[in-house]
Amino acid sequence: MSAPDENNKSSHTQLASHFFSELLDSVIMDVASESHRIARLGLDRNLDDEEEELRLSAQARARLADPSNSEANSKYVVDIFGQTHPPVASEIFDCMNCGRSIVAGRFAPHLEKCMGKGRKARVKATRSSTAAAQNR
Amino acid sequence: METGRMRASIKRPPTPDAEDEDQDREPTLQEIINIKLIESGEKERLKELLRERLTECGWKDEMKSLCRSFTRKKGRNNVTVDDLVHLITPKGRAAVPDSVKAELLQRIRSFLQSAAL
Repeated sequence: MSAPDENNKSSHTQLASHFFSELLDSVIMDVASESHRIARLGLDRNLDDEEEELRLSAQARARLADPSNSEANSKYVVDIFGQTHPPVASEIFDCMNCGRSIVAGRFAPHLEKCMGKGRKARVKATRSSTAAAQNR
Repeated sequence: METGRMRASIKRPPTPDAEDEDQDREPTLQEIINIKLIESGEKERLKELLRERLTECGWKDEMKSLCRSFTRKKGRNNVTVDDLVHLITPKGRAAVPDSVKAELLQRIRSFLQSAAL
């Protein structure tokens, strides 16, 4: 290649780099501007949702830690689906061990006696399942 | 043509032209090319191409994500455009894929050649 061409080429490369940088900075500026607009106008749903969640979970923690929230109050507490729950679960179903009808809220104490795991609840030697377990 | 009374001089800064000798000199090659780029519409096309490529490869999402986390920390009403520009400029320049840069450089070089400069 003759000298003038080489000079041309390197100046072309330099010029090309310059214009590329200019274009890139311009695009960067556009992205920054767009992001700024989104931030200030609160258009970023995720951002807001996260802030909202953080705020709500902080609130919930505060509420839990608050000693003035007694059992009596918990009737009126609403969960995340908007449902309220009575303090004692009132659904009735049948115990799978003894077949009795049990109120859900009393199920745990019932099971204790029923399955012989709790205090004063032993002595069901004739039950075949217990016998089988003992014999293993 | 003076009347009897001379007007008090109006104090004002000297007109720019008198100071700006630079306007008289020849435009640089760079300036000439810039004008050609703009007038031909090629500059806009190049910018669009760059924008498209940077979006395709996820660069733009990366930059917006950086802006989002910065905004979250600083608080969305405390953020300035300047903050974000300073935030993403160094990372933005570094994160351009080589292929994208090469493509743009090639396009620009073609233009330079075709403009017979």
